[in-house]
Amino acid sequence: MTRVVRAIALSIVAVVGSSSVAGCGAARAALGIHEAPKANPALAPLTVEQAERILTRDFAAAQQGATTTGVAAQAALSTAYADQGLRAAKARIRLAAIQPSAADSPLLTPEKPLLLAVPRGFGYPRVMVAQTVAAEGSLPVLHLLLSPDASTPYRITASATMMPASTVKPFDPLNQGSPLVTDGKGLAVSDTAMLKAYAEAMAFPAKPVTAPPFAADPFSSQVRVRAAAVAKSVVTQAKFSQVHKVVPHSVYAVRQADGGALVFGVILRTDSFAVKSGQAVNTVANKAFVLLSGKKKVTKSASITTVEFVVFSVPRETGRATLVAASEQVVAGSGS
Amino acid sequence: MPAPARRALGAVLAVLGLALAALGAWTALKLGPAGEVHFSATSKATGAIVVEPGILNSLNLPVRIKATRGDGGAVWLAAAPSTDAGAVLAKSAVSTVSGVHFPAGTLDLRVSGTGSLHDISTADIWRVSSKGAGSAELLVGQGRGPETAVLTSGDATALTNVTVTLTWAQRPWFFEALAAAVIGAIVAAFALNDVSNSRRTARWAHAVRTRRSRVRT
Repeated sequence: MTRVVRAIALSIVAVVGSSSVAGCGAARAALGIHEAPKANPALAPLTVEQAERILTRDFAAAQQGATTTGVAAQAALSTAYADQGLRAAKARIRLAAIQPSAADSPLLTPEKPLLLAVPRGFGYPRVMVAQTVAAEGSLPVLHLLLSPDASTPYRITASATMMPASTVKPFDPLNQGSPLVTDGKGLAVSDTAMLKAYAEAMAFPAKPVTAPPFAADPFSSQVRVRAAAVAKSVVTQAKFSQVHKVVPHSVYAVRQADGGALVFGVILRTDSFAVKSGQAVNTVANKAFVLLSGKKKVTKSASITTVEFVVFSVPRETGRATLVAASEQVVAGSGS
Repeated sequence: MPAPARRALGAVLAVLGLALAALGAWTALKLGPAGEVHFSATSKATGAIVVEPGILNSLNLPVRIKATRGDGGAVWLAAAPSTDAGAVLAKSAVSTVSGVHFPAGTLDLRVSGTGSLHDISTADIWRVSSKGAGSAELLVGQGRGPETAVLTSGDATALTNVTVTLTWAQRPWFFEALAAAVIGAIVAAFALNDVSNSRRTARWAHAVRTRRSRVRT
């Protein structure tokens, strides 16, 4: 009997011991417990629903900021916009009385914003591209929404109206996201170099540009024509010059499905008037300048600052960049 | 097989069967028909509570997180990709859920960091979020891991004395436990029956042998 009891005891110890060692792993496997998955940098860091919520919030705030006044309007604008986008939106509202009214704003009561691209991977900054159409028949507006870091929400930093007959090539599927091109690699021309060349080419007096990496476009032509007209109109009273400079950290190239990129950039245009000695220029005709500078007459100098939002389609490997969208907004003026 | 060995094997199987039946029945009772398993802990430390992907994404099942504040203040719960959640939490004071204990139903909390957390609810990193007064619940689905869930105060007050409960639910767990109980009971019944028969046979054989030896003498 003692032998039997000993055998039972030994068997139990052996079975319990071996099963508890193997059992832990087996139980984990049976329950489906596993290690946490690794982050997939080839996917979008946010869902399409999240991105659409963000778009809705920002465009609703933009609309509120354009249609209300006071502190609430300022708060709404700060919710919708950031950087040069905010600067332009504030100026547009300030100048609404003399420029096309806020009611004509492309942001006012747009159709549901169309989400074109969301970011890919977990790095920062992250950008989204969206499109709105203010009213049937009007040209669509392209928007860049930027989140510079994890703590800062997406804000509209650039909005530009599309050129007639221009199109935007498709991006990768929204659930995969579209990567930022940070080094210009794989593009026919580096995004920053192209925008710098574009800004320099719009200067007045004009500088010769050989083999520009971008195709001719109506926006820059109009800017140059207007600059020449202004210079001619003030030639007896002042010397006019115009400088265009790319705003630092404003250039974002979003990779498209065909390997090319949609490049957003912000250019600051400065119109400078050096008043000739003994001259006094009456500025009343320029209502925007009077409103921004408070000056109706200048005797020494004056300057007007305009923000230019431009969007280019840059092809992969070869070819020239094409302007897809552009808008401008006078934001500041000063004179003495 | 010799009779003593067969009896020993039967006894072992009977013990294991009974153990399996008891464990299965107890687990089924603990899980309930919904197959839910709950783990709770109360944090007395000041600061956010964080559930990292090692816990949050350890099963391919949605996790229900419930938070209840002792003082009835606002509660805000959200989940985001781990890298983003880590970036906004930075080095602020947090209590991290570092382990779960079954069947005790408890959670381990590890306190780390210093300094108060700024308002992180305005960031655009949160895939899902929920808020409430006194308590809030959030269901975090799987498939977008690794994610981190963060539980913090929904207002300016510091979060302290908050109870967090994680719940996983899978109905088949209940039926699996029930099946284990039934299988264990059947194995035990057969084994006990076999041991009993074997002992009866041994006694009968012993009695026959004793009678024969008396006849010879």
